Order: sequence, then structure tokens, then C-alpha cells
Amino acid sequence: MIRIVTLDPIDPSDMAFLTATLYRAFGLGTEHAGERPMPREAERKDGRVDAVKFLAEVAPVRTFADDKVLYITASPLALPEGPLGEPPCWGFSQYGGERAVISTSRLPARGVSEASIENFRRRLAREAIHAVGHLWDLHHCYDPKCAMHPSWSPGLPANPEMDLDTFCREKSERRIRLAKT
Amino acid sequence: MRGPPPRHPDDHREQLPAVEGVIEDAATLAPGDRVVYPNQGVCAVVGVEEKDIAGQKLELVRMRREEDGAAVLVPKNKVPSIGLRRVATGGQIEGVFHYLAAQFDDPELDWKVRHRDNADRLIAGGVLGVAEVVKGLHSLSRIRPLPTKEREQYDNARHLLVHEVAVSLGVAPALAEDYIDYALMPPAGVKFDLKPPPTPVLLPSRPKRRRPAAGEGEEGMEDLGLADLGLGDIDLGAALESVDAPAEEGEAEGAEGEAKAEGAEAAPEEAAEGEGEEEEAPRKKAAAKAKPAKAPKAAAKAEKPAAKKAAPAKKAAPAKRAEKPAPAAKKPAAKAAAKRGGKKK
Repeated sequence: MIRIVTLDPIDPSDMAFLTATLYRAFGLGTEHAGERPMPREAERKDGRVDAVKFLAEVAPVRTFADDKVLYITASPLALPEGPLGEPPCWGFSQYGGERAVISTSRLPARGVSEASIENFRRRLAREAIHAVGHLWDLHHCYDPKCAMHPSWSPGLPANPEMDLDTFCREKSERRIRLAKT
Repeated sequence: MRGPPPRHPDDHREQLPAVEGVIEDAATLAPGDRVVYPNQGVCAVVGVEEKDIAGQKLELVRMRREEDGAAVLVPKNKVPSIGLRRVATGGQIEGVFHYLAAQFDDPELDWKVRHRDNADRLIAGGVLGVAEVVKGLHSLSRIRPLPTKEREQYDNARHLLVHEVAVSLGVAPALAEDYIDYALMPPAGVKFDLKPPPTPVLLPSRPKRRRPAAGEGEEGMEDLGLADLGLGDIDLGAALESVDAPAEEGEAEGAEGEAKAEGAEAAPEEAAEGEGEEEEAPRKKAAAKAKPAKAPKAAAKAEKPAAKKAAPAKKAAPAKRAEKPAPAAKKPAAKAAAKRGGKKK
């Protein structure tokens, strides 16, 4: 089961689209599990939220074995600096774990036109699939058409696909089959 | 210094410098140490225990794979030869990132060489070897999609690299992967101030393909097991000589002539040579069918067995010289044409 938790209001139609897309991608039931407040410990001085601290500090939701929890926030996320600098952050997941967070701050603006709303939804769904994929042990993929391709890659098209490629899909299916429940 | 085990007993092991951090003595391992088992990942040493296996008392190093908690047991005396090594240091990891972010040369395009080298690098190349596999296959994936086996190898190598970097830097695996891909696929407009990447890992040489020596080949020819088949009396040497002998020219010419005659029958109007070649196999079959029918006649005419073969050749030989095929050569050709669905004459 994938449980979606929001930290900021989200349009119900967007949520319906997201749950349907996640269900199609992983074959797992998906539901909106409510809202939670932003943990103060995760907020940084520059106004961004430390993604690693966020997952450690955020208020939990009731889960069962193999449930995955996806948090969605509108605040920009940040990652600790690495050997070559700080990578841009669309989301962050506990690899093979339970929790993931994605941010809508880097997604295309949700305007009023049908096209912009559709564009926003598709990109949100892609980032959600990417984050949940990490929870099911998927690594980044070199294929720009796959949802597991890094979100900052220059090879990523303007309107990327929101599907997993064959290898990633089969791997996730294997993992899900082997899960405890 | 210890390299990977020799792949062939006759092959001389090339002396290469050991990868940094390779454990050469199991006595240096202490419970709680974190080591990297090639192709398995990061393990924590639990301790040394003695076990009675097949009547032998063995000292085994027990390790626990950190990823999933799987137990790994290695005989103490095998530790130096399996390539067990310490987790990469900060300096090594920095080198790996500078290597990943550097411009890459053309990837190896020969899949056999590539796959073999990558397998060697994963086992004996240390953390830089694993990074080389990831970088090499990633570069190749930009040219063309990876085949299934290499896609799996790429995923495995990435998995090993992510976990080792995560352990070495003390961060979560997902964060380590972000760092790796930030170096491997930097966002547009981002340029790194890179140091010269570390020198590539030297791999031990593979055994060269063994070709049978001249003496071995002759022995092989003699020992074909013909005696078992009841053909021990056949003189192979003489038979082979007779194949090349000019005395058989007539037969060869005859066969060629027959073939040409058939070709002419199948395609009366200037049959192309290419076509003839393509239809050579069915023609031979047809000729083989036709020969037994002719054989009694030829046997009656000729006393020697060699003449049996020469007889159709003699009949077909004029057909080659004359423009029109001889009637004797027509029959098998007609049969062959009928079998191929050609027109009957």
C-alpha cells in the first residue's frame, strides 16, 4: 500500500490523478492518508527544508508491513553538500525503506489552462513514481524515458514520461512479489 | 601483494600492484570491521569461528552483509585470495567522484572484451574498478541501449558503488546515489573544478587461447576413432592426398560440368553464376539422388570402382563444351527442376 501524506493543500483532482498513476505504475493500492505539519527541525536558515532531516523528524502515519509513505510538500528541499557540491533536489527517499518526500516547488507552475494543469500533474506523478521506486530498491536509470532517470539530467525532455522502463518495472515487480506481505 | 586466483594452471600470473586496501592477512580482521566483499557489497566482520566440515576443522571468518543481514563465511586462509578489502577511504572516494565527472573516452565496443573486463574490474578493481564499470556502461548507454546482461551488470555495479560510497561518506544510500549521478550526469550549466582522475585499474592478464601444436593436430587426425567404427583399414593420408591429386581433375570437372548443365536446365537463358551458387545445395541433393540410378549402368561398363564416379563425369563433360546440354545430363536436371517446381521437359 502506498500512503500519500500532504503537508500543504493539494487539489483533489490532482490527488486522484496521482493515486491512479501510482496504482498503475506499481500495482499497489494508493490512498491519501491525511495531512501532517512541517517539522521545525528540518527547516534551514535559507528557507529550504533539509530532506534528510525531514524524513527523520516528520510525524509518522499508521502503516503496516511493506507500506510506503510518500510526503508531498510545496517547500523547496535541500540535500547536504557532497564531494562535488550540492545536487538539486526534487525529492528524497530512504532507499529500500518506508518514507519518501517530494517537493512541488521545482515542478512547472500549475496555471489555469488545461495544458499547464496536465503538465503539472504529469510531472508530479513522475516525481512520485521516482521516489516510490527508490523505496522499492530501484536505482537511477540511464534511460531518459524512464521515471527513474535523475530529475536534473540534461537529457530529460521538457515533458518527461511518467512510466518505468522495462528493466525497472520488472525489478520493482520482483521486489513487490518478494515483499513480506 | 596478491592478485586474483590464476584462471588457468599453466598461465603465469602477472605481478600487478594490489588494489589499495586489500586484506592480505585474515589476522588483521577484528569484530566490527567493515570490509567489502567483491560482488557482494559491504560486510561487517562478526568474528572468527571454527567449524567441522567434512571431517576437517576449518577456521572461518563470519561476516554479515550490511544490506540485508545475510551471513557470509570465508575460510581464514582464503581471505587474501578472494579480494576482500577495506571500505574505501575519503581520498579514494574523492578520486572516484573526479573520475565519474571527467570526460570519458570512447567506450569499448567489443562486447566480449567489455563484458570480460567489467567482470574482472568488479572483482579485482577496488572501488575505482566498480566506478569504471558504471562510467563505461553509462557512456555506452548514451550510444545505444545496453543488452539485458549488461543492463544487469550496470545495475549491480551501481548498487555496489552506491553502498560503498554511502558507507564511506556516512550518508544514506539514496543520497550517495544522488552524489554519484550529480557527477555522472551534471545539470546543464554546471561545471566542476576537477582534479586529474586516478590512474585506471590494471587488470591481470587473461590466459591466451591455446591452439593445438602441430604434433597434437596430427595425433588428433590419427585418433579419430575410426577403428571403433570398423573403418580402421582406411589410409587417411592416402585419401587426403587423393583429394588434391590432379588425377581427380576429371571428376571435379565432371561435377562442375554437371552442375553447369543443370544450371542451364533450370535457367535456360544465361543463368547467372550467383544463382548457380545459391542453388548449389539443392542441385547436389538432386545429383545425389540421380547417381544411384546411373550407377548400375556405369558399374557394368567399368570394372574399377573409381570408374563409377568417372562415368557420369565423362557423360557430362561434353555438355560443358557444347552449348546445349547432352541428353544424359538432362535427366537428373529435369528431376531437380521438377522438385524445385521448375518446368518439366
